[in-house]
Amino acid sequence: MSDHLTATNVTRRYGTTAVVEGVSLTLEPGNITALLGGSGAGKSTLLRLFAGLEPLDEGEIRLGEQRLSAPGRTVPAEKRRIGLIFQDFALFPHLTAAQNVAFGLKSRGKEAARAIAAEWLERLGLTGRADAFPHELSGGEQQRVAIARALAPEPAAILMDEPFSGLDPALRGSVRDTALAAIRDAGIPALLVTHDPTEALESADFIAILHGGHLLQQGEATDVYLHPESAAIAAALGPVSRLRAQDLPPGLAGQDVPAGTELVVRPEGVVLDDSSPVRARVTASQLTGPLCRLLLDCQGQPLTALVPRMNAPAQGAEIGIRLDPALTFIFQSAGS
Amino acid sequence: MSIPASIRGFRFRSVDGPAFLAGLIIAVPVVVTLVAGLMNGGGHAWTHIRDTLLAGYTVGTVGTLALTAIMTLAIAVPAAWLVTMYRFPGRGLFEWLLILPLAAPGYVLAYAYGDLMGLMGPFQVAIREATGWTARDYWFPDMRSLPGLAFVLTCALYPYVYLTARAAFVSQSVCALEAARSLGASSARRFWQVALPAARPAIAAGLALTLMEAAADYGAAEFLGVPTLTFGIVRAWQSFGEPAAAARLALVLVVIVIALILTERHTRGRAGSQQSSTRWRTVSRAQLSGWSGLGATAACALLFLVTFALPMSRLVWLVMESRGQIAPIGQALVNTLILAGSGAALAFVLALVIALTARQSGLIAGFARLMASTGYAIPGAVLALGALLVMGYLGITLTGAWAIVALAWVYASRFTTSGAEPMVAALGRAPASMGYAAESLGASPLRRAVSVDLPVALSGAMAGALILFVESLKELPATLMLRPFNWDTLSVRANAYATDERLAAAALPSLLITLAGLLPVILLSWRLGHSRPGDTE
Repeated sequence: MSDHLTATNVTRRYGTTAVVEGVSLTLEPGNITALLGGSGAGKSTLLRLFAGLEPLDEGEIRLGEQRLSAPGRTVPAEKRRIGLIFQDFALFPHLTAAQNVAFGLKSRGKEAARAIAAEWLERLGLTGRADAFPHELSGGEQQRVAIARALAPEPAAILMDEPFSGLDPALRGSVRDTALAAIRDAGIPALLVTHDPTEALESADFIAILHGGHLLQQGEATDVYLHPESAAIAAALGPVSRLRAQDLPPGLAGQDVPAGTELVVRPEGVVLDDSSPVRARVTASQLTGPLCRLLLDCQGQPLTALVPRMNAPAQGAEIGIRLDPALTFIFQSAGS
Repeated sequence: MSIPASIRGFRFRSVDGPAFLAGLIIAVPVVVTLVAGLMNGGGHAWTHIRDTLLAGYTVGTVGTLALTAIMTLAIAVPAAWLVTMYRFPGRGLFEWLLILPLAAPGYVLAYAYGDLMGLMGPFQVAIREATGWTARDYWFPDMRSLPGLAFVLTCALYPYVYLTARAAFVSQSVCALEAARSLGASSARRFWQVALPAARPAIAAGLALTLMEAAADYGAAEFLGVPTLTFGIVRAWQSFGEPAAAARLALVLVVIVIALILTERHTRGRAGSQQSSTRWRTVSRAQLSGWSGLGATAACALLFLVTFALPMSRLVWLVMESRGQIAPIGQALVNTLILAGSGAALAFVLALVIALTARQSGLIAGFARLMASTGYAIPGAVLALGALLVMGYLGITLTGAWAIVALAWVYASRFTTSGAEPMVAALGRAPASMGYAAESLGASPLRRAVSVDLPVALSGAMAGALILFVESLKELPATLMLRPFNWDTLSVRANAYATDERLAAAALPSLLITLAGLLPVILLSWRLGHSRPGDTE
């Protein structure tokens, strides 16, 4: 069993501004933790702190019992055995796919390194591409080589910085599935930095939300999705409609909404129900694939609903709606 | 074999005429020289040159190029690595100070070092005074030798490799280097096995540029008494009055230059160098503290001192010392302005045509660009010979205005590409869709070039014009061969004084040339400082 990779109260400043402040995060072996946040949230910095590419100003980072980073003491990246995967792949352009994968296997000897590299290439479906140079590979192939290269030396943990956002959307899913399966098999802690909530929810076992250098919430992916601790977290994990208590159409909430709070509802929490006394008008009906997005006007309040395409009402229709309490959250209003 | 689509689909467009003309103007001198070298008999002088001098010339050129290549790589690549990857006292300053030697042509450094290291130079005098020895009692490096020439050319030209290596280190390998770290590679392994191989094509390109310039050098080789092919070409023309023999020598020189270019192409090989990076990361430089930091500072300071500060201070000292006895150079200054000005003007027009047509990629535009970059690789002496031959075929005597025309033509033939570059870059910053928008609004290619692309290109025109002017002003061998009778320029005057061993008199024109040379170099370093996406402090 591999060790946990743990950050405790980690702070990193550039000059006087803290880019990461007081962050504590534990990465469990065999699980993928998504670090979700917008640009400038400090995601990449936190990853670089884990990797040992930057020193930290406060707190510490440990791998099991071993201390990797503390103020003034940083085990250098090359001594950490932590694999890195970048958005732009960062393959060595002068080496073939097989040589790239073998790069981190220097201590195993030439023959063994070659065999291990071939094994990894095969595992990631790159058997015929061993002798190709990076510029001769497609984006998806390049990223799979990068993943093989990072995993081949049997690292103690693996960190991925937006690894799939450089890929064609059509390819992204399949590369991601192959890659994450290989990473889960390795049974090591894995961190996936992403700005895409869908990717975080689809890929990760745990989600940590970073905003302005602070960790807002962390936990199991479903938990964070179903029990966000603030409206901002709810919004960070996907689209929501937000209504202030005083604007709520009567009867819509189906529960008590105290004054000074706001109601946040996910689009799939807005349920069509003809028996409901609360009526809304469909202002637009947009097909998004298997689902249909309805923009609703409920007594002057805008709402978004996501319903199966089969029985989606047309634009201009008057419908009855109610809210699913499991997907409806009530928070103190911002500013109150 | 199928015909490429670009040829099958060819149709003459309104921009092709000017592009073709520009390409032709640039191409004629070198083509004429090569044809003359191949077709004409060499004349009487050729037999003599072939039997007694050719081997020496070839060995001189090849030996100088080889030694220059080794020394350039040995200093430029480590310097670039140090300045890119580490923090140490004075790093930001050295980053651009190390480019400054580009301002001084090789012959200027040769004069300065010839004086500094000579028998009566400060070092040897100090040794004799300190020890009481005579000049025969000790060994001292002799500048008037092939290694001396290679040393001087390295000092003047290493920044080409420094610049390309630095750009490669900054832009290509940051994420790759971090990946290598995470895979357990030590810093030495990261340099030798990741950064250096990835930068190799860029370094080779810079080295090719260095060696082309070294092959084109006349003044330093002549002054230091090293027989090279370029020296031989000028000599064959001036002493033997034998253009056919000179053309034969030019042929050998061009073969060497082509071999250089092919070798450079070859190093690109199959392995790629371009990172498919879509995202730039700031270079995080490792701090060198204590002795290693001071060591880095000392190494960079020494490099700057040897390649630029020391020889330039010597020239300044010579000028100060011989104040009052210096022959007036006002006329030479005026001549320089006229000749370099006409050369720059012609080259500027051609560069503009090339930059504007390059935007609308077509067969003819490609031809013009290819000719321009070929011209840059060909030594000035070879191009001057071509112009002389053309003038000879046309029965024009090389006097007065015709000489100026011929010289401007040669300057344009050689330098147009370096003037076109900043304009192409300026155009490159505008989106390609801008042109499509113009065409969709019904603009012809010519109208699009003039009314849409031209105003954009002009933002790079200042830099282009400045580079063209300074390059023309520094040029020596073609100017020597073609200038109107009694028209001395600064470079010709410096060369004449230096050959007469009147180095104090050569110092002032040399310094003025270097000062002019500083302008585009400073512009270049400013642009570098503001345009490298991955290199912010």
